[in-house]
Amino acid sequence: MKRIIIDREKCDGCLNCNIACISAHEEGSNFYTVNLQSPDAETRNFIKFDAQQGYLPIFCRHCDEPECVLSCMSGALEKDQLTGHVQYDETKCAACYMCVMNCSYGVLKPDKQTRTKLIKCDFCDDKPDGPSCVKSCPKKAIEVKEVSR
Amino acid sequence: MKIVIIGASAAGISAAKTIKASEPDTEVVIISKEDSIHSRCMLHKFLGHERDTKGVNFIPEDFFETNNITWLKNTTVIRLDTNNKFVKTHDNQEISFDKLLIATGASYFIPPIPDLRESKNVYGFRDLKDAQLLDIECKTAKNAVVIGAGLVGMDAAMAMLERGLTVTVIEMTSDVMSLQLDKKSAQAYQQLFENAGAEFILNDKVVSVDVDEVGRGKTIYLASGKAVPADVIVIAAGVRPAFNFTEGSGIATNHAILVGEDLRTNVKDIYAAGDVTGIAGIWPNAMKQGRIAAINMLGEKRLYEDRYALKNTVNFYGLTTLSLGNINPEPEENCEIFIREDRNNYQKIVVKNGVVQGVIIQGDIGGTGFWQYLIKNKIDVSGIDKDVFSLSYADFYDLDQQTGEYNYAV
Repeated sequence: MKRIIIDREKCDGCLNCNIACISAHEEGSNFYTVNLQSPDAETRNFIKFDAQQGYLPIFCRHCDEPECVLSCMSGALEKDQLTGHVQYDETKCAACYMCVMNCSYGVLKPDKQTRTKLIKCDFCDDKPDGPSCVKSCPKKAIEVKEVSR
Repeated sequence: MKIVIIGASAAGISAAKTIKASEPDTEVVIISKEDSIHSRCMLHKFLGHERDTKGVNFIPEDFFETNNITWLKNTTVIRLDTNNKFVKTHDNQEISFDKLLIATGASYFIPPIPDLRESKNVYGFRDLKDAQLLDIECKTAKNAVVIGAGLVGMDAAMAMLERGLTVTVIEMTSDVMSLQLDKKSAQAYQQLFENAGAEFILNDKVVSVDVDEVGRGKTIYLASGKAVPADVIVIAAGVRPAFNFTEGSGIATNHAILVGEDLRTNVKDIYAAGDVTGIAGIWPNAMKQGRIAAINMLGEKRLYEDRYALKNTVNFYGLTTLSLGNINPEPEENCEIFIREDRNNYQKIVVKNGVVQGVIIQGDIGGTGFWQYLIKNKIDVSGIDKDVFSLSYADFYDLDQQTGEYNYAV
């Protein structure tokens, strides 16, 4: 399966990946027009700063054994056997947020506005040119690579 | 090989899925009492008319066909013969197996209160059938009484409020959802429910029920002397593992079916998973047990080690809460309690000797999944030179270079 592979040494915390993610999920926007003030502006990836370790990119791993899928009581989260990605179906989701509780890496979050859906990496729907965060990274700290599973 | 699974909820379905994903040729038969597959965590959405029966299904409609699984619905297992390896059903079918998974869950319990069990308008809130019967009652009932203010009772109360009934919730303890919340976080929900029209009677209990000439409970009498009118009564006073059919089979039980770490019972080739084992408690654990039991039934060895079950999330009226571990420590436990709040958030972290024992995060729960890892693995955080509220996965960041997956650096 394809996974966004992180080289944290290269990350210098510019947050282009955050902006690209918000833009990718705001219809019709691009890197320059995206409305970061919108209440709907939610990023699916995070860069944490640590005084000792520097910048730490936290991105959904689409885990081999995804705890979020095992915790889902509505069938909204499924691991796609073909792509390997953990897919989220908003129409099925009942917003119980047991997935948020069970994601050991703290990647998942409820939407801020309504708390009726989950904010989760969708791998930009497997577009041929790859996820928007990866395209936006000037340091190539994140790259899509094939990993065995 | 032929695997028979009794029960078609979290554990049973998760097991079937795991078996078919790795060995599609294994014959799988699922036996269930119900005629539909549904997530009991969504019953309130059905009763509140937010979703129909299809909407509370947690698997694709064509799940059984696509995976080539035989589903015997409306079928109750009445006996298990471990020597000749078959189960007998209520309609006298004998279904043989090579391996068996018992995933029959739990059933609700009606406390032995005079005339409560006998009342015809008393319902549990456990299966879709319960919700369907309640749905019919809600068409004519005006006053609903819910006994028990745990998560299930609150679910039922919310759904009936949606339906326009007058809802009274009776609870023995001093707060709603007292297993998951502390006083402060419980009051936030109580307020939201009261705003929606609910009435709560706390620190009180039902002592008797007045039944009318057609056998319906009409008035509920409480220890305090109060009398509450009822057209429909919902019991949410807990559940018990359901396994009548194992009597005389030699399967070891003690209020639950006893299993080892591989989720096998004391009898070879017979496994159990989910609420029936008494060690699941919550949906994600039941799913994981189903998966691990399936892996073991297929001959691979995998232990159920992630037993941590003191965890839950609550989401009513858009107020979300994460609750983990020991959140209401006794003074003699000598825990440190840290509280941080603002107008939209309430956070409580219980620490003892540098190890987080429990948390309540109410309000914004985004990114809080790492807390469960810290608590269940008893990670000492005293060496991290920062405010406990600022902890995140970043403090334990570790990447597996091969797979790109995260690990915990502890």
